[in-house]
Amino acid sequence: MPLGSATGAMTHARTGAPPGGRAAVAALQQRFARQDVAAACLLFVVLLLLPVLPGVQGWMASQATLVIVYVIAAQGVALLVGYTGLVTVGHGGFLAIGAYTAALLTKHYGVDMLVAIVAGGVMAAAIGTVLGLIFLRLAGPFMAIGTLGFAFFVGTVVNNVTIFEGRDGISLMPTNTLFGQPVGDMGFYYVSVVALALVTLFLYSLLRSNVGRALRALRDAEKAAESSGVNRWFYRTLAFSFSACITGIAGALSGLAIHFVSAEVYGDIWYSVDMLVAVVVGGSSMMMGPFIGGLFVVMVPFFFEQLVDFASFLKGVVLFVVLVFAPAGVCELLARPVRALRARRIAALAQAPAAPVGPAVTAGR
Amino acid sequence: MFGQQVMSGLATGSLYALTAVAVVVVFRNTRTINLAQGDFSMMGAFFALILLKQFGFNYYAALLLAVLGVIVLGVLVERIVMRPIADSDWLTLFTATLGVYYILHGVAGWLWGRDTKAFPVTFNPAPVDLLGARVSEGHLINMAWAAAIGLVLYLFFRFTKQGIAMRAVTDDPETARLMGIPVRFVIMLTWGMAGFLAAFAGILTAPIIYVGPQMMDEVLVKGYVAAVFGGLYSIPGAVIGSLMIGVAENLAGGYLGSQYKTATAFAMIVALLTLRPKGLFGIQHRREI
Amino acid sequence: MASHLRCENVTVRFGGIVACNDVSLDVEAGKIVGLIGPNGAGKTTLFNVLSRFQDVDRGELYYREHRVGGKKPHEMISIGLARTFQNINLFRDQSTLDNILIGAHRLMGDPFGAIYSLPYARRREREVMQHATEIAELLNLSGELDQLARNLPYGSQKRVELARALASRPEIILLDEPVAGCNEEETAELRKVVQQINRELGITVLMVEHDMSMVMGVCDYIYVINFGANLAHGTPAEIRANPEVIRAYLGEADE
Repeated sequence: MPLGSATGAMTHARTGAPPGGRAAVAALQQRFARQDVAAACLLFVVLLLLPVLPGVQGWMASQATLVIVYVIAAQGVALLVGYTGLVTVGHGGFLAIGAYTAALLTKHYGVDMLVAIVAGGVMAAAIGTVLGLIFLRLAGPFMAIGTLGFAFFVGTVVNNVTIFEGRDGISLMPTNTLFGQPVGDMGFYYVSVVALALVTLFLYSLLRSNVGRALRALRDAEKAAESSGVNRWFYRTLAFSFSACITGIAGALSGLAIHFVSAEVYGDIWYSVDMLVAVVVGGSSMMMGPFIGGLFVVMVPFFFEQLVDFASFLKGVVLFVVLVFAPAGVCELLARPVRALRARRIAALAQAPAAPVGPAVTAGR
Repeated sequence: MFGQQVMSGLATGSLYALTAVAVVVVFRNTRTINLAQGDFSMMGAFFALILLKQFGFNYYAALLLAVLGVIVLGVLVERIVMRPIADSDWLTLFTATLGVYYILHGVAGWLWGRDTKAFPVTFNPAPVDLLGARVSEGHLINMAWAAAIGLVLYLFFRFTKQGIAMRAVTDDPETARLMGIPVRFVIMLTWGMAGFLAAFAGILTAPIIYVGPQMMDEVLVKGYVAAVFGGLYSIPGAVIGSLMIGVAENLAGGYLGSQYKTATAFAMIVALLTLRPKGLFGIQHRREI
Repeated sequence: MASHLRCENVTVRFGGIVACNDVSLDVEAGKIVGLIGPNGAGKTTLFNVLSRFQDVDRGELYYREHRVGGKKPHEMISIGLARTFQNINLFRDQSTLDNILIGAHRLMGDPFGAIYSLPYARRREREVMQHATEIAELLNLSGELDQLARNLPYGSQKRVELARALASRPEIILLDEPVAGCNEEETAELRKVVQQINRELGITVLMVEHDMSMVMGVCDYIYVINFGANLAHGTPAEIRANPEVIRAYLGEADE
C-alpha cells in the first residue's frame, strides 16, 4: 500500500485526478470494508452501553436479551436462506434442540452456562447434519415442507416424551453460572451481546472466504458452480450444519435467559415461520438484516400485546409491502444508495489510468 | 373397530383432499405455495356460520353464498396480492401468501373474536351400517360431497373450454399464451377454484372441530403433506395422499394414542421424501421450481 | 497420439427422443478438436455427457484411458476438465474477479482453513488472487475485474466465461460455442486466445461451434455429428471436402 499511495500522491499532484488501476481499486475496497467493520463495531458499542443509558430499566435487559437471541436465530436462517438459497420453514426445531439440551444439562448436571450453550449448538449441528443429508436432496418447496415437518416432529417429541416435560416445562434456577460466577439478567444481556458478536464475526469470516464464494456461486448458478469444481452436496450440508448450530446456540441462550423451557414455546411451528419472516423482511445480510427482521418480528407482538389481531394484520401488510418494494429485504433497500455510491467510485477508479510504477517511485521515497 | 377407524379415516381424508387438491392446482399453475389456503376455508366457515346464525338462512343457501364469497376472496387475493409479484421467485410468492395468512387471521379475529364457536351440525349423529362397519352419517355426507366435487372437477378439466385451457397453462404457459389462451384469466380462475374448494373444506370441517381463526391451521399442514404425495403436481396423487393420511392418523390415534395423530402425517412425509424425493407419483413437468 | 478424452458408443435417450445415438469421439491430447453439426444434432447433449452433466443410457467415457463414467460433475475439475456454457452461465451478481475466483475453486484447498481465516489459507487466497488477475490480463479483462458480470458487454462476458474455465489450471477445456453471437473482431480475438492457451499452456481443447471460420481456422481435427450420430471425422481439409457433410448442412439450408 505505501507504494501505491506514494505514486498516487505524485500523480495526483501532477494531473489533479486520483490514479486508477487495480491496486487503487483494491485499496478503495479495503477502505470500504474497514468502514463496514467500523459501523458494526459502533453498533456493538451501542449495544454494550445500552444498559447504562438513562431511563433504561432492569426489565428492559430481559426483553433486549430476547431480541438479541432472536437476531442470532435469524442469522442462522439467513445463512441458509439468503446465502445458500435454501428455504427452511422449520428452524424452530433447532431452536428447541438447543434450548432443551441446555436446559436438561443445566438442570440435571448443573453445568456452567458456557458448556450448556456450546452443547446446545453442537447438538443442533449434529442433528442438522443428519437432517441435511435427508432434506438437501429435495427441490426448493419440497425441502421447505420437509423442514416444516421436522419442526412439527420436534414439537410432538417435546410434547410427548417425558424427559422434556411437555407443556409443564423444565424450570431452571433463577440465576445461571458462568465460570462459576452467578449471572443475573443484566449479566446475561452482556453474554448475549458477546454471543452475537462472536456469531457475526464467524459469519463475516465465513462469507468473505472461499466458502462464502462457493455458497454464493451455488445459489446463483448451480451448474456453473459445479462445473467449476464446487461440490454442491458438501457445501450445502456445511451451510446447513452451521445454520443449525447458530440457531441452536440461540435456542440455548433463550432457554437460559428466561430460565424456563416448555413445549408451548418450542413446540410451536409458527416460530419457524416467524424466523423466515424475519429474514425475508430484514434481508439476509450478516447482521443488519436479521437485526431489522428480528426487531420487527419480536417488537410487533410486544407493542400490540393487547391487539393481537391488529398485530397479525399489520405483520401481513408489512410483509406484503416489503415483498413488493424491497424483495431483498429492508436492509438491502437501505443499503442501496451506499452501494450505488461505492460502485460508482470503484468504476471511476477502475477506468482511470493506473499509477506508474518505476524508478521514479524509489527515487521519490 | 378397525373398519370403523378406516372409514372415519377415509372421511377425514376426503376433507383433507379438498385442501390438498386446491394446493396442487394453485402450485402447478402459478408456482405458488398458498399458505393462505386454510384461511380461505376458515373465512368460508365464518361466512356460512354468520349466514346461518345471524341471518337465519337455510343450510344450502348459506353454503352457496359462502362458497361464492370465498371464490370472490380467492380472486381478490390473486388480483391484489399475487398479480403485482407474479414474476418473482417462489419464496417471494410463498411469503406473500403468508402475509395473506396473517392478514386473514387478524381480520377474522377482529371481526368475530378469537374464541372457538360451534358450527351447527345438520346430520344425524347415529351411525349407519356400511360394508360391515358402522359409519356415522356425517362421515358419509362428507365423503359424498368430496366425491361430488371430485366429479365436478374431473368433468371441468376434461370437457369444458376453461378446464382445458387451465390444463394447457399447467403444461406449458408460454405455448398456451402463444396459442391465444388468456393466461391471466386462467390464473384468476385457478385462485377462484382454490376458493371454491376451500369453502367446502371449511364448511364441511367446521361441524367436526369448531369455528375460529386457527381452525384450519392443522388441516392446512396436512393438506400440504398430502399434496406432496402427488409431487405437488398430480391431483389423484394428492387425493390418495389425503386418504392415506386420514386413515393412517386415525389408526395411529386409535392404537397409539391421540397425541400421535398429527405426528403421523409428518412421519409419513419425511419417510416418503427420504425414499422418493419427487413424491409418490413423481413429476414429469418441464418447469423448474 | 495419446487420447485425452474419449467416449465410446454413447447413447442418450430422453423419453422417446434419441439425443445421442452410438456416438464415439476421441480427443487427442494437446490438440484442438472441433465438434460440429447442424442444429439439434445432439452436440450440447454430447458435451454434457463428456463433462458428466448428463448420464448415458449406454456407452463409456474415458479420461486419459481411465473410466470416468461414474464421476459427479464437480469432480471433473479435479481430474483436469473444465467447460464453458453455451448460454453464458456467469454469476451475474458477482464481480468479474469473483467469477474467475470461483473457477479457481479447486486450487483453494480445504474449506476449514478458509472459514477460520488461518494464515496458510490466507496465503493461498493471495496466490490464487494473483493467478486470477494474470488470467484476466491474458483475456484482456483487467479493466473490468470489479464490474458486476451482468453489466459487462456480451464479448466481455464470453471472455469471463473462458477465464473462469482457465482459472482451475485445467488440462483440457470444453468450449460450448465460444464465439456465438460475437462480431468479427471478438471472434478473431477469441481465436487467438484459444490458439494461445493451446500452444503456450498446452491445454487440449474440444470446441462445439457453428462459426466455420473459427472451426476451420483453429482445429486440428473435426468430428461431425448429425441426428445424434457420428457422420464423419477428419482434418479440416477432409471435412470440407466430405460430400456427406456438405449434404447434411445443405440439406438443412434447404428446409
